[in-house]
Amino acid sequence: MGEISYRPVTPAIADELRGLVGAPYVLYGDPEKLEPFSHDEIPGKHYRAMPEAVVRPDGAAQVAAILKLANRERIPVTPRGAGSGLSGGAVPVHGGIVLSVDRMNRILEIDRDNLMAVVEPGVVTNEINERIKELGLFYAGYPMSLETCFIGGNVAENAGGGKAVKYGVTARYVLGLEVVTPTGEIVELGGKLVKDVTGYNLVQLMVGSEGTLGIFTKIILKLIPLPKCQVDLLCLFRGSEAAIAAVPKLMTESGIVPTAVEYMDRLAVKGACDYLNETIPYQECGAMLLLSLDGATESEVVADYEAVGKLCQQYGAYEVYVADNPTTTERLWRIRRAIGEAYNVYSQRQSGEDLVVPPAAIPALVAALGRLGETYGVMVPCFGHAGDGNVHARLICPPEWSDDRWRDTLPRLLADTYQATAALGGRISGEHGIGCKRKAYMRTVVSEEYLHLLRAVKQAFDPNQILNPGKMFPPAEMA
Amino acid sequence: MRIFIPIKQVPETKAVRMDETTGTVIRQGVTAILNPLDLYAVEAALLLQARHQAETIAISMGPPAAETALREALAMGIGRAVLISDRAYAGSDSWATAWILAAAIRHCGPADLIICGERATDGDTGQVGPELAAALGWPVLTYVNRFDWDGAEFRAGRRVEDGVEELAGTLPAVITVVKEIAAPRLPTLAGKVRARQAIIPQLTQAELQLDPAAVGLAGSPTRVQKIFRPHIARTCQRVMAGDAEQAATACRDLHRFLHDRKVV
Repeated sequence: MGEISYRPVTPAIADELRGLVGAPYVLYGDPEKLEPFSHDEIPGKHYRAMPEAVVRPDGAAQVAAILKLANRERIPVTPRGAGSGLSGGAVPVHGGIVLSVDRMNRILEIDRDNLMAVVEPGVVTNEINERIKELGLFYAGYPMSLETCFIGGNVAENAGGGKAVKYGVTARYVLGLEVVTPTGEIVELGGKLVKDVTGYNLVQLMVGSEGTLGIFTKIILKLIPLPKCQVDLLCLFRGSEAAIAAVPKLMTESGIVPTAVEYMDRLAVKGACDYLNETIPYQECGAMLLLSLDGATESEVVADYEAVGKLCQQYGAYEVYVADNPTTTERLWRIRRAIGEAYNVYSQRQSGEDLVVPPAAIPALVAALGRLGETYGVMVPCFGHAGDGNVHARLICPPEWSDDRWRDTLPRLLADTYQATAALGGRISGEHGIGCKRKAYMRTVVSEEYLHLLRAVKQAFDPNQILNPGKMFPPAEMA
Repeated sequence: MRIFIPIKQVPETKAVRMDETTGTVIRQGVTAILNPLDLYAVEAALLLQARHQAETIAISMGPPAAETALREALAMGIGRAVLISDRAYAGSDSWATAWILAAAIRHCGPADLIICGERATDGDTGQVGPELAAALGWPVLTYVNRFDWDGAEFRAGRRVEDGVEELAGTLPAVITVVKEIAAPRLPTLAGKVRARQAIIPQLTQAELQLDPAAVGLAGSPTRVQKIFRPHIARTCQRVMAGDAEQAATACRDLHRFLHDRKVV
């Protein structure tokens, strides 16, 4: 993308925005109120940028009017859900307007005849399941932040999460969208259709587009019958090699597809268990696998977990804990969920990575990350959705390093990390997105031709480059 | 040493709802779990089992589905389990329950120690432990946070308002334990398999032969007069400080406010 110069949000434009959505729904000129919209959940201050105005429209017509105004005035617009992202996707890197979808938070329809739901983008993802649970239905998208994140952000980032091994990522459940294009046109894509080949699959182009191609105002989701039983297994291994090597075997040899296969290496386990004062004997534990199994009947799930648990023991697990009720389930999952927080407390100077490789290559990736950590003298705890080849690695600055040393080292460490991932046929983000955080590293994993196609698509949708600029695309190659 | 651990299946805490007209807990459609506070009683028993080769028996009164809670205790390592289940016992309050538990424990043979959780998270009375001791004519120690037994005498700590009471005595006794006693272990795969295969005998009125007037609704003196949701009023006072001096005054006022209420 060439450098585009944008115009500021003047008081007159702020007035015009107030006219479009109502004065209470425009924030302007008050840094204290604008500040919460300057960042997402990447720790630290590096990926922050202040918006000039925040607008909170209600409905497609208001969104369209805002985008038409922004096109006319050449003002950048950054869409924002709950701000729980991890790639800077909702950060207004060029200032301008942040368009928050938080007021569009209605579940419009639960269509039991078609097993579908129609929702607005500002619905908290977990609320969908709370609403449909009693109907015996289930929305299978399950980001780890489900209690805070918005469904709109999930669709924009094509969120994955803890259950993707069995149920797939968000994309699998998005059947239709009402989208406002960057030029302010309202279009319907897809619909309540299980099959649809009427033209290009623009629904799936929009899913994972990181708010660069349009703003969703309605989302049609596929629902599935609620699995009635779930059991979780926490498998303790003495060495991380054995644990990670067990993952591809579990996926291919058990004949059972777990709902979740979460890996936690020694550093991740120790960080989380210390943080929680956990009393299970984790001190001698080199790595853990947290597995979930679900099904329609208890007897089926019992047979599955006994088989999978025994397979884990066969591949070196020295203890397997079983959780089949809310008390113990919560105890197991809070270990997994505490990892991020434990490391945030340890150090704010870190980079959270979202590497993805073909599932069988996951042991090689974890080994490569271990070597990189040793070479650079930094901690690289690894954890995450190992069953689908997606690992969250944290590159954590040693506390004794100066800021300068970290700033100097991190780009090289990241480049080496991404190259190691690419060498295994992987990509630099599985579910968090590129955003502004990883755009400079796109060329590590994709070709110039691929980038050219991405740019051509962006140009077709957004000729004035006003929607979420500064994301996804690396700067043009230096001659 | 034979230890009995009375446990209760309760609705999952987060899902507990009350029927405000009948004054009872709505149990339909709610996930049932082993009372979380009973896990500490189970753990305390398991530690004594390991240290003194004690025999441990979990016992519960409830519908046949309460077997799930007993199997969870077995999966954690409890030796065996007994379920008391009879329609005649339905509607028993804490007093009638204690009476039935006492009869069932007597029926199961000699007992040295009974370890209860502090209270159940549904009824929240904390009465069954002491009432069970009364029914058996045994001494009771509530809120126990430490318990050691040397084969003849026990030493125990009781968590009381302003500290810990140190007590010594001989068995038999009933104790109710608090969370500090020990962190409950997680059930293992081997434990789960053993628990699934275990046979849990059921005790009914046929075995216990209790006076029908002393059990169930008829034997329950508790009457729920009224049930309501307490209104919690929170007020907020905002103190604006214009300069450092005002801020210091505000801090002193806040400190005094909290100090007077024994918060700091």
